[in-house]
Amino acid sequence: MIETLLMGVTWADVKTWLPGFWNGFLISLKLTFVSLVLGVPMGLLLALGVQAKTRASRLTCLALVEIGRGAPALVMLQFVYYGLPSAGISLPAFTAAAVALCWNTGAYTSEIIRAGLDAIPAGQKEAAEALNLSRVDELRFVLLPQGLRIAVPALMGFSILVFQGTSLCFAIALPEIISRAYDIGSMYFFYFPALAVAGLFFAAVCIPASFLVEWFEHRAGAYSRR
Amino acid sequence: MTGADAAHIAMGIPMTLGLTAGAFAIGSVLGFPVMLARSTGFLPLRVAVIAVIAFVRALPPILWVFLIYFGLGSGLLNLSPFVAALSAFGLIAAVNMAEIYRGGMLSISSGQWEAARALNLSRVSTWTDIMIPQMTRVALPPSATYVIGLMKDSAIASTIGVTELAYRGKQMSQITFEGLSAFAVVGVCYIALSLPVAWIARTAEKKLRAKVAR
Amino acid sequence: MHRQWNLSVIDSPRPVVKLEHVSKRYGAFDVLKDINLSVLPGDVLAIIGPSGSGKSTLLRCINWLEPANSGIISVGDVTIRCEEVPEKSRLTALRRQLGMVFQSFNLFPHMTVLRNISLAQERTLGRSRKEADAISLNLLDRVGLADKAYQYPVRCSGGQQQRIAIARALALDPKVMLFDEPTSALDPELGLEVLAVMRELAGSGMTMIVVTHEMGFAENVSEHTMIMAEGEILEYGPSREVIRNPKTERARRFLRAVNDR
Repeated sequence: MIETLLMGVTWADVKTWLPGFWNGFLISLKLTFVSLVLGVPMGLLLALGVQAKTRASRLTCLALVEIGRGAPALVMLQFVYYGLPSAGISLPAFTAAAVALCWNTGAYTSEIIRAGLDAIPAGQKEAAEALNLSRVDELRFVLLPQGLRIAVPALMGFSILVFQGTSLCFAIALPEIISRAYDIGSMYFFYFPALAVAGLFFAAVCIPASFLVEWFEHRAGAYSRR
Repeated sequence: MTGADAAHIAMGIPMTLGLTAGAFAIGSVLGFPVMLARSTGFLPLRVAVIAVIAFVRALPPILWVFLIYFGLGSGLLNLSPFVAALSAFGLIAAVNMAEIYRGGMLSISSGQWEAARALNLSRVSTWTDIMIPQMTRVALPPSATYVIGLMKDSAIASTIGVTELAYRGKQMSQITFEGLSAFAVVGVCYIALSLPVAWIARTAEKKLRAKVAR
Repeated sequence: MHRQWNLSVIDSPRPVVKLEHVSKRYGAFDVLKDINLSVLPGDVLAIIGPSGSGKSTLLRCINWLEPANSGIISVGDVTIRCEEVPEKSRLTALRRQLGMVFQSFNLFPHMTVLRNISLAQERTLGRSRKEADAISLNLLDRVGLADKAYQYPVRCSGGQQQRIAIARALALDPKVMLFDEPTSALDPELGLEVLAVMRELAGSGMTMIVVTHEMGFAENVSEHTMIMAEGEILEYGPSREVIRNPKTERARRFLRAVNDR
């Protein structure tokens, strides 16, 4: 059975594929990095925005969050890459992917950060008020440092999902890992071996990362129970 | 884009729902034995199951869909796109539901196990009368969140030609050259579908919680 | 005689906290019913009563942590009419005169003890870091915790945390200190060290309003005691009188229950 699946592919064949996979892997990493660096601050702004006092900004932020969370990332990618050109905006594949994944990241992380802020005991807010801190100071010195700390494990877990999500860019012909595997598969019909190599790349990153997150969550839990 | 075009896209809804419901059903059923194996006292089995769960979760869903459709499909067994997608999402749902069940089980205080043992309840009765009802309450909200996530992931099936919402949206964007509205319609459909699920989950949770509230 | 009477009117100090007809509702439930109260400078007032009597709510209404629905609240020269939504500046002026100590301490867990006490001094009074820290260290010394300045609150016992919370409130030079069941979350032994600090504070002439279950504190330290039940004031007067000779049956029942424990 394994032999049928491997189709006579040898280690020498796999070696010739590796540079291509490596480049695809780098694209996935770069995209993850951009999505997180731009998306998490956006999530913070959205988290604060949905609690804003002015109705207009509250509704705008809420719409951005609900669309970003409600629509599948694949559809958002296609919307940005295939859809925006019909509105006169053509973006290269990487930029389109970055825009869509940032939006997605911002929407999800805003919920994570909001949950972190909500998890702060009400007494902290009351103490800040009783000490007469301004609303901005209350956020800056009391709520955000604690809320973000609570959110860190969940944000780390979400980063893994962002990395996995870059695989969807297959659909907009960005040459990341899955696209490379698919190309090799369709060219020589070596689907299973090529996809399996792609899987190893993901496993090599995501399995250690998820155990790290779990350990971190455990530690954070122990800290808050003290 | 005309109303008829939008309707053509919306006709993908049954396929999206069918795929989601099917995968969730598979996951809910298979998830339970996976959870039990994950928590067994027999170390080798537990380690093996932990490894499998970690591996299944490590690969992105699109890769599982491709592995089953193209990978197994090239020579070993030929599955229709729908069955391939259903198997892939069923597999993913099983490990995720196992983790959700486990969260529910861990939330039950050890005193409940002790009480059941002190009352001399059988193992089966301990599960069906004591554990599962309490687990359900805890596992319900994350399960609802998961169904919604699963439905959005099911869009990936469009890449192997399952004619669900995302597939029809792509198709329509190529026919009409109006990608913006075509994909917007698709997005709206997904959001509209997830609203009732979220609502049902919230109501059910409220009811279940009211039952045990003091 | 006549002259003296006159003088006493002129000399009688103005109350520093005054509540007139203050009421508060949660939905259809009246938590506070038409409360009238004045507290003179230097007075120590204990508020006791069964749980759910509205005593904590009353305290939290004074510094507007919970908005009252009607009535007038004055602290110093700031007056708030509860029917209106007060402007931010007025709330700030109100709270600047009030220090608050919570049942659950509410120290900021992510800051050192020193930062806990210095932060609000810098941000609301405009003191420099150096100035604020000097004042904080001084206060820590006063509550007997100078050695804890650079520790985090989790490293401190409950009693120590509450003493730090008192120092944090005092650092802003309040005219009046509000205590919301400051010892209820503490073991009896740890409660004692907090009570000792409060007793010292009362001796120094600080105006204090203390919601408490500690009958000893009410009877021996506070000048006046007020008994509340169902959102109303049952008894008010000099502590000894109120506790030994309550006039109402409801208050007698409450005091009997406390003593029987």
